[in-house]
Amino acid sequence: MWAVDAAAAAAGVLAGQRLSTALGLAPGLRTFAGDAAREAQALADLACWAGRFTPTVVPVPPAALLLEIGGCLRLFGGAPAIVEAVVAGCAGQGWTVSWAAAPTPLAARWLARHGAARIVAGPDELAAALAVLPCTAPGWPERSVARLASFGLHRLGDLAALPAAGLRARIGSDAVDDLLRARGELPDPQRPFVFPDVFAARLELPARVEDAAALAFAGQRLLAMLAGWLAVRQLQVRVCSLHLEHEDGPASTVALRLGEPSADEGRLLRLLREHLGRLQLGAPVIALALSADETTPLAPAGPGLFAEAAAGEGRPACIERLRARLGEASVHAVGLRAEHRPEAATIACDPLADPAQGESAPLAGFAAPRPLWLLPVPRPLGEREGRPHWHGPLDLLTRGERLESGWWDSGEAAAIGDVRRDYFVARNPQGQWAWVFRDARGWFLHGLFA
Amino acid sequence: MAAASAPLPLDAVLARGDVWRGDALAALPGAAISSGYPELDAELPGGGWPRGCLTEFLVDRDGLGEISLLLPALARLSGEGGWLALVAPPWLPHAPAWAAAGLVPERLLVVRAGRHAAWCLEQLLACGGFAGVLAWPGADIDARALRRLQVAAEGRPVFAGLWRSTATGTAPSPAPLRVALAADATGLSVRLLKRRGRPASRTLRLGVPRPGRNSRVVAGPSFAEAAAGSAAATAAA
Repeated sequence: MWAVDAAAAAAGVLAGQRLSTALGLAPGLRTFAGDAAREAQALADLACWAGRFTPTVVPVPPAALLLEIGGCLRLFGGAPAIVEAVVAGCAGQGWTVSWAAAPTPLAARWLARHGAARIVAGPDELAAALAVLPCTAPGWPERSVARLASFGLHRLGDLAALPAAGLRARIGSDAVDDLLRARGELPDPQRPFVFPDVFAARLELPARVEDAAALAFAGQRLLAMLAGWLAVRQLQVRVCSLHLEHEDGPASTVALRLGEPSADEGRLLRLLREHLGRLQLGAPVIALALSADETTPLAPAGPGLFAEAAAGEGRPACIERLRARLGEASVHAVGLRAEHRPEAATIACDPLADPAQGESAPLAGFAAPRPLWLLPVPRPLGEREGRPHWHGPLDLLTRGERLESGWWDSGEAAAIGDVRRDYFVARNPQGQWAWVFRDARGWFLHGLFA
Repeated sequence: MAAASAPLPLDAVLARGDVWRGDALAALPGAAISSGYPELDAELPGGGWPRGCLTEFLVDRDGLGEISLLLPALARLSGEGGWLALVAPPWLPHAPAWAAAGLVPERLLVVRAGRHAAWCLEQLLACGGFAGVLAWPGADIDARALRRLQVAAEGRPVFAGLWRSTATGTAPSPAPLRVALAADATGLSVRLLKRRGRPASRTLRLGVPRPGRNSRVVAGPSFAEAAAGSAAATAAA
């Protein structure tokens, strides 16, 4: 038994018991086998997340994580602030934490395992903190602990007074070395966690999820991991994709496209919520996977010389949110193309394109007037007594402007093709100014001089 | 600037931007952008289209010259490097005409908002990245949504134009400036239904640029250059 819940504890089941004993105490006990591989994965994921606090993170299997915070105390405003942030962050991801901060990694682990939940600042305090720990705290072999107990030594402080050579002979060299490492008298090098070159994380959901909005919580955990990884790697992400794995069938993918590279977890989360709000799930989801597809090195944006208050979140963030809700194609900028056929003269272009590319060179203007609004499809107009009608008879105010030809794309799908039209500026009795044309099929309304 | 405690002469008090007299128009210095029509600027509080609040344009028909009325101001905003946005426009913008009026098409965002027009407009106003936003929210926008928009625009240097039908003119609105537009024999008639300060009484008749007045379609480069300057120039005379 590794861990038990409150109901099992009430039945007398304790951590450390054998399975048969536990089942004897509580016949209806439901047990779950530990999975070492998944535990290691969870620890690695948590290490990735912890990259936001410090680049030196050491996972110690099975369930310990060491963060070297000596170098970043000032950045976060002191050890208590870091501890608070780490504990809150772990709780937010659903982990229960017992923690301690100490000058040596081993002492911190022992204190944390004992549930000390305290910050030990200096070496003097460390000796006092270690002295009160029971001999079971370091996790030495049971034989050694039993031996120490038989000598009447129950606390680590009792051991400190004994001659090291004699102790070595009785409980083994390893335990004594551990003690020295914990006190900082022997070096204790650690192998830091290597943050992966490419970010890809996967999260299995505890239950099948059928509602897209409910995926936001799990997505948040993945994004927190991504943010930690980005912080360590000094990167910003531009595109990342969330893969939703179903029980059967191929995974579906949600692409999160940011307007500009960013490492802001909150911004990614807002974008994810927008996407999930729009998503229709075809099948229940059993697991989520997040991968960072496009990353760029972090460009340090120094704060302004004067504290200019940045008003609002800015244009790219706004555009990416509109796109998340309305779809990529519904939000676009306008581009100009050298083309005489009116439908083809306007193109949609990417509003988030690199501004360094510059604006299109101003094209030579048209000799004849062009309307501000164009109808998506020319609307056929009735004709009475030889005059086109649109809310009354139209007065033609200009001579016809012939726009002709377009044979080069006449076979293509969604192309305008070959046209032969005479365009006129016209006005109706209501005072509306229209751009109409006549071709072989009759009169059409094509634009409005708004 | 005199200290707040010292007694100020009356002239100095009246010269303040946030003090207005009942018979004078409220002046919001630096906030307004000139409309390009001197007779209209004289009637508008602050001497131009206001920034940082909603402006309602009430018009029932398209193609009267209603956008042309705003083009000088929009062209200035765009020329200064600002971004403009069209939310749920009734038709497709035709880039050559907007470019000819002096706008930079690449900085013109078109949002096909569907039923999310009010939400989109609020995001665009609040994000602070746009110099001008024009929106066609449709008939179903309610007073609460309008109030939200007004709050979103407040204090931001953005010109926010909202296009609504004249039928809504009788209903109250949080927009500080409401302009009714109608066709006129010579151009566009502009009536200020509501403005800060003394209510406006007279209807302005503005000669907004209209196409085809003097233009003749002649192909050829020599003539094209003269007409290329702006669509406005072709008919302003």
